[in-house]
Amino acid sequence: MAVKIIESCVNCFACEPVCPSKAIFEAKPHFLVDASKCTECEGDFPVFQCASICPIEGAILDSFGIAINPPGSLTGIPPEKMAEAMAELQSH
Amino acid sequence: MQLPVLNDTPSHAEHGAKGGCAASSCGTTENQMDSLPDSIREKVQNHPCYSEDAHHYFARMHVAVAPACNIQCHYCNRKYDCANESRPGVVSELLTPDQAVKKTMAVAANIPQMTVLGIAGPGDPLANPERTFETFRRLSEEAPDIKLCVSTNGLALPDAVEELSKHNIDHVTITINTVDPEIGAKIYPWIFWKNRRIKGIKGAKILIEQQQKGLEMLIAKGILVKVNSVMIPGVNDQHLAEVSKVVKSKGAFLHNVMPLIAEAEHGTFYGVMGQRGPTPEELQDLQDSCSGDMNMMRHCRQCRADAVGMLGEDRGDEFTLDKIEDMEIDYASAMEKRKVIHQAIQAEMDSKRLEKAEKAQQHKQVPKLTTRPVLMAVATSGQGVINMHFGHAKEFLIYEASPDGVRFISHRKADQYCAGDTSCGDGESVLQVTIRALSGCEAVLCSKVGYEPWEMLEAAGIAPNGEHAMEPIEEAVMAVYKEMAAAGKLDAKPEAAARASA
Repeated sequence: MAVKIIESCVNCFACEPVCPSKAIFEAKPHFLVDASKCTECEGDFPVFQCASICPIEGAILDSFGIAINPPGSLTGIPPEKMAEAMAELQSH
Repeated sequence: MQLPVLNDTPSHAEHGAKGGCAASSCGTTENQMDSLPDSIREKVQNHPCYSEDAHHYFARMHVAVAPACNIQCHYCNRKYDCANESRPGVVSELLTPDQAVKKTMAVAANIPQMTVLGIAGPGDPLANPERTFETFRRLSEEAPDIKLCVSTNGLALPDAVEELSKHNIDHVTITINTVDPEIGAKIYPWIFWKNRRIKGIKGAKILIEQQQKGLEMLIAKGILVKVNSVMIPGVNDQHLAEVSKVVKSKGAFLHNVMPLIAEAEHGTFYGVMGQRGPTPEELQDLQDSCSGDMNMMRHCRQCRADAVGMLGEDRGDEFTLDKIEDMEIDYASAMEKRKVIHQAIQAEMDSKRLEKAEKAQQHKQVPKLTTRPVLMAVATSGQGVINMHFGHAKEFLIYEASPDGVRFISHRKADQYCAGDTSCGDGESVLQVTIRALSGCEAVLCSKVGYEPWEMLEAAGIAPNGEHAMEPIEEAVMAVYKEMAAAGKLDAKPEAAARASA
């Protein structure tokens, strides 16, 4: 039972100090979670601390491999709008 | 010939109609500072970010030690790192406090006119208190001749005031875009507060309360507070006059309104959703209508969180981690050298300030023109003179000449934020983009202008002028203004300005 940080992490350090179990550590190319230490905040907080401050949608997965912050949930940008803007940019 | 270079009497006829201009607050930088108490003026008059004339002489730097943030703003994308970008929140290399101290001392030794060190991100400095305060603590001990500044979104500010007051930091900048939670919810999608992510109006309300509380606490401690606001048309543009009133009544000495930077390629909410930034005219109108102390920061460049050098330039490439690694800095001797250079700059600035004041005095005795005001663009690389080729200018300074004298209005970028190639999305050439950036101006003063831009400028109704190379900016602008007046060009509304506002 542990969360996982994946490659879209931008190394902003925000999650590291808020982890109650000191399970998050700086690594290359991005921060990682020590699965043996992560408690998913159980007993400490009702919500994942790392995923509550993480600014990047999709960068932290729960133990089922599902993004805790799905696309659009943090920036408010509808995913189709983002895809549209990126396609527009690539066409130039 | 006597040249009026100081706007010593505010033009109420022109600004009064907009209902915004308080007496004594529409002057030039020097006049503006005269209205500040001595204790504050002392601290800011040689600060390149606060003093328009000082920024031609002194340099600043930011060290990127603060990566984490505790809120999300719709104009920010935390994924960004692009060497070609210059805007807040963008950095190339994150530094540890130790690296930041080393870099600061390396820059101080090599660019002796660097007097100010700021921590501004790329996240929120106070959301990274250990890294931020470690950097400040060491610099105030090891490089005591450098002024320290910090900027913050304000959420963690009340808890940091005590610590801030220990580190010889006399300026704090708080970004306050609103005092209304409903408007706040349109700018800040969420905050991280007491172990939860709080979205919408509820989050914005907490942020606003923390900002205001932090502002009051800093003032109570005697720390100077500047407030930055991002002008977002249709979101907070109508509301910023209220923000200005509130923060000034609480004791902020300066309110700096900056334009929103939003492009789809930045991947920000505003960029992707097509929120536009203000036009130069809209920005100037708002800055004028709130006027007051805002005049002091018209030269603000919205620097990157790792900018190095004079405002408008970035010498960060000379001080990358691998380069500073090899530098041996003897700070004690560097500090001696810096002191001598600072004294020489000070003497030059003092004599120029005195000269301006004398000319303003003389101007009072000259019969007043009754011609309309004119905007002019100037290409300069510093020292207060016209010394840059049109084609080399990455930005232009905009001045307004009127019968009251010459006043600095703003700077406008000439190149694209991500100028990697020669054309931008609309198929416009860099030259066309530059000329569009000068809309509303009727003349451009530079050391030289090439044939092609000369023709395009003329076609756009902007008179190219290379006749005042190496002359002091304000005197040259006034000379051109008088030529225009003598030629009878200032009686009717100009074609170019009419077109630009159409």
